[in-house]
Amino acid sequence: MPKDLTIKKVMVIGSGPIVIGQAAEFDYAGTQACRALREEGVSVVLVNSNPATIMTDVEVADRVYIEPLTPAFLAKVIERERPDGLVPTLGGQTGLNLATELANRGVLDDYNVRLLGTPLSAIARAEDRERFRKLMREIGEPVPESFIIETDAALRDLSRQSGLPWPLIVRPAYTLGGSGGGIAHTVNELMEIGSRGMRLSPRHQVMIERCLVGWKEVEYEVMRDANDTCITICNMENLDPMGVHTGDSMVVAPSQTLSDKEYQMLRTSSIKIIRALGIEGGCNVQLALDPHSFAYNIIEVNPRLSRSSALASKATGYPIARVAAKIAIGLHLDEIENKVTGKTLACFEPALDYCVVKIPRWPFDKFVSADRRITTQMKATGEVMALDRSFESALMKAVRSCEIGTLSLLYKKASLWSDMEIERLLSVATDERLFAIAEAFRRGLMIEEVHQLSFFDPWFLVKIRNIVRMESRLREGAVIVLTDEGTELLREAKQFGFPDRVIADLTGKTEMAVRARRKSTGIVPVYKMVDTCAAEFESHTPYFYSCYDAETEA
Amino acid sequence: MSDKKKVIVLGSGPIRIGQGIEFDYCTVHCVWALREAGYEAIVQNNNPETVSTDFDTSDRLYFEPLTTEDVLNVLDREEPYHGVIVQFGGQTAINLARPLSDAGVPILGSSADSIDLAEDRERFEKLLRELGIPKPEGRAVTNAEDAVTVAREIGFPCLVRPSYVLGGRAMEIVSGEDELRSYMRYAVDVSPKAPILVDRYIVGKEVEVDCISDGVDCLLPGIMEHIERAGVHSGDSMAVYPPQSLSKVTKDKMVDYATRLARAMNVVGLMNIQFVCEGDEPYIIEVNPRSSRTVPYLSKITGVPMVKVATRCILGQSLKEQGYTPGLYPEQKNPAVKAPVFSFQKLSGVDNTLGPEMKSTGEILGQDSTYPRALYKALVACGFDMPLTGAILVTVADADKAEVLPLIEGFAALGFPIYATGGTAVFLQQSGMPNVQTARKISEGSPNLLDLIHGGTVGLLINTISKDKKIEREGAQIRRASVERGVPCLTSLDTARALLLALSSHPSTGEGFGVRTVDEYLAG
Ligand SMILES: Nc1ncnc2c1ncn2[C@@H]1O[C@H](COP(=O)(O)OP(=O)(O)OP(=O)(O)O)[C@@H](O)[C@H]1O
Ligand SMILES: Nc1ncnc2c1ncn2[C@@H]1O[C@H](COP(=O)(O)OP(=O)(O)OP(=O)(O)O)[C@@H](O)[C@H]1O
Ligand SMILES: [Mg+2]
Ligand SMILES: [Mg+2]
Repeated sequence: MPKDLTIKKVMVIGSGPIVIGQAAEFDYAGTQACRALREEGVSVVLVNSNPATIMTDVEVADRVYIEPLTPAFLAKVIERERPDGLVPTLGGQTGLNLATELANRGVLDDYNVRLLGTPLSAIARAEDRERFRKLMREIGEPVPESFIIETDAALRDLSRQSGLPWPLIVRPAYTLGGSGGGIAHTVNELMEIGSRGMRLSPRHQVMIERCLVGWKEVEYEVMRDANDTCITICNMENLDPMGVHTGDSMVVAPSQTLSDKEYQMLRTSSIKIIRALGIEGGCNVQLALDPHSFAYNIIEVNPRLSRSSALASKATGYPIARVAAKIAIGLHLDEIENKVTGKTLACFEPALDYCVVKIPRWPFDKFVSADRRITTQMKATGEVMALDRSFESALMKAVRSCEIGTLSLLYKKASLWSDMEIERLLSVATDERLFAIAEAFRRGLMIEEVHQLSFFDPWFLVKIRNIVRMESRLREGAVIVLTDEGTELLREAKQFGFPDRVIADLTGKTEMAVRARRKSTGIVPVYKMVDTCAAEFESHTPYFYSCYDAETEA
Repeated sequence: MSDKKKVIVLGSGPIRIGQGIEFDYCTVHCVWALREAGYEAIVQNNNPETVSTDFDTSDRLYFEPLTTEDVLNVLDREEPYHGVIVQFGGQTAINLARPLSDAGVPILGSSADSIDLAEDRERFEKLLRELGIPKPEGRAVTNAEDAVTVAREIGFPCLVRPSYVLGGRAMEIVSGEDELRSYMRYAVDVSPKAPILVDRYIVGKEVEVDCISDGVDCLLPGIMEHIERAGVHSGDSMAVYPPQSLSKVTKDKMVDYATRLARAMNVVGLMNIQFVCEGDEPYIIEVNPRSSRTVPYLSKITGVPMVKVATRCILGQSLKEQGYTPGLYPEQKNPAVKAPVFSFQKLSGVDNTLGPEMKSTGEILGQDSTYPRALYKALVACGFDMPLTGAILVTVADADKAEVLPLIEGFAALGFPIYATGGTAVFLQQSGMPNVQTARKISEGSPNLLDLIHGGTVGLLINTISKDKKIEREGAQIRRASVERGVPCLTSLDTARALLLALSSHPSTGEGFGVRTVDEYLAG
């Protein structure tokens, strides 16, 4: 269907100030969406209280309001601007909640403002935990069993039930950073963690759910148009198994440890869900996968643009926000051109011939007294992404992008950790777990041992150990590394993502000497294009990443 | 490939406290300005959440780490290029100025040397002395005795901090010799290698300016006056533009200092200066020859496209050629208030008090026709449920009691029930507020003030930090409860005063507030 010509003016609500859980990704998504709408001749009214954003620039929207994001103030903007429509899914949870509130208060009806894109009913079905679970059961998609408990008596009753799906994860409602939760394996533990959780919760409430301990956490970014065409943009696999919020997890795209059957199974399920919900635009499906069987569970769905969709966009070169905005004004996926390639249409699923790693950036360097454990509530303020041909080098690039005082997996504190501490750091997730894994390998732990403690998939552990092994190979090769005999070692180190500075430190050379030797032997990076189609078509994306193999693309 | 001149703009990496989205804003605007001026703009950055890494922001995007090596590699590939711009990418990009410059890379705009000068305390102080520009008296010391000697010379209170940490960490205000000695003994490691800075603490207004220099002339789009007095990190203070209480003399001095400093430091592009005022005299506390947190906010409320103007200066076009008159840009009519937003609810173990160390993650802007109205909007936008309801719970340090009295009288006059703990309650009751109810401290058994907070009675907590360790432990518990309950907690009396001003100008409801576009506010 061509675009809806009755839509001439559209309102977009931003996500407000940067807080943990809602960062710059909505400035990116909102800005891209505003542009996409204007490209179609639609006039855009933008409201956001955050002045530090690009989206609140007069260049981005036709009418820019920097006013408080409350239903009352938004109603005033609506009264004044009389937009034809409102896209609720561009401004994170804040934008979505406000749009829902405006609809519920009747403001949208009063001023004849249509909600564009994903309908409110679909949003409600995805956001309301109970309705979502009901729908999942109806369509035969598995969800973990869960219970909301508010009194000690109810907790006791629950603990006496037979056939509880042990172990259980206890999540107290509204505590700082989700603190006070835990995993219960026995009735006693359940009583203890449950009642402590209630005591700590200002609402005296805990959510108790089957704990999918050790399961893999996987996300799919899916798009659907009003014509019911669906595509997956990409999937992403968390390195940290279930129990760590996806925003606090290290993530790799595309998934690396799923078999084709598993990949297809979860993809099919994601598409089934977006159809059942009736989403028109983009959505993010979070799933848990049992590594030992083909069992999986649906964790949640975000019926809107999200941090993950920003990551997926950048990882693939597919402009999700742009396409979602066009779908919202009636266009179908096969009518939208992919501007990145200039060649393909938006209904064409991206393909990746490289590996993407995301690492969160936590504020514990500033907040030294904060609880560094990462659990089911997000604590990171931001994130970095890196692309490369191999997982090892993408990981190494991401680590040095974090600016946390190290350029590699060599971490200052690590040598001071006792073996006991390392064990704890492997099993209790903190921002330092990656470095603890590396240190564990330095001390000779086996893949299986580290896996048992951390539940990281052995595939990732092997890769991390490869990096650690390269550290010792470099130390051992100190004498030869800058000679002809060491050329291959040097090349391999670069392919593993080792910076010159680190190679120099490990071999007792200067960074300058390493760099000079590298250049003289032609070990220099080449730059690859992110073309969304794994070089299947010719395309001209101006978007590059470096790697140490093959030739540069112009 | 085109034959346009190439410029590489370095981004600011991941969002973190102290380096947020504002630097992405600056990076993007620099790129736009470059492209508009006919250059080929190339971005290097590693943050997937941002506009700067969108596929059509720049002519070319390198999704790469921001280390010297990674930048030099990209530069090798982009040879021949015109130069690299580092001043918009926050500390991340600024830190690359020296190593890149040493590697022979042309840094466009302020040079690595200008940047170093601002960060080298000795050189910078010498420059200020030569220019006759005041800064708070102070010195670096390496032992407790010298610290006491210096403090006696400059007078208490003093601001003490290690010279090697950035971002206000481990910074304290000490009001006497005992406190100073105990700080030197327990709080910090001091050695000749790690000196401690002892500065006179100036109890006064903190003021911030961002200016644009073309190397000769200097344009100040606006002056921002902080609402919280000096001692609260600039990133965590509320601020108002245009300033509400600065004299013409003060403003003229700031313009003069900024202009002479920019010239002496060879600044080309943006520069941020923080002042603390004692009477009419502004003292310089910090200078950063780069874009700052306040650039987007100031650009939007003054209408001066600061990054674009700065970028054009960097490319060699003077301010006058761009049509700007040097000096202070005419003040806009509609006041604008910036307020910080925190994420304390997401983090346990972090104290929600304001201090010299930055804690906020974001910010909002409130704009309207008068200062109290703009304040009101800013408070709404940063999450206050205006007009507040419920009782106000007050528990303040002895030193703050006299100052808090008129504020509490004001809140009481607006009809807020007032609760206070022991000493504060007695003081308020004896000062003519018999209706103040006494709330029991935690140590006095229940029901106590924690129950008041958890029970939903309290709508606002006013709590200032006490130097008494025992009292402070309770204070921390109370503040934590307020975060858990979502009850606003003010730890600076200046914020409380601003809230009172906003509420007394609009006591009953938020009705009657209008909305206007950014352009309409600028039009007056
Ligand atoms: N049943 C479970 N067992 C183990 N871990 C779980 C379970 N359910 C959720 N988690 C973990 O908690 C994280 C957060 O869960 P979920 O996304 O449902 O929370 P949320 O409160 O909706 O967070 P947000 O809205 O910020 O994404 C998940 O990413 C997952 O790692
Ligand atoms: N001499 C002084 N008198 C009063 N207050 C001061 C003085 N020096 C600094 N401050 C206060 O301390 C805060 C932090 O100081 P300063 O900006 O120098 O720290 P910083 O370590 O440079 O922090 P950042 O680099 O994050 O801005 C200032 O914003 C100001 O409120
Ligand atoms: Mg969620
Ligand atoms: Mg400062």
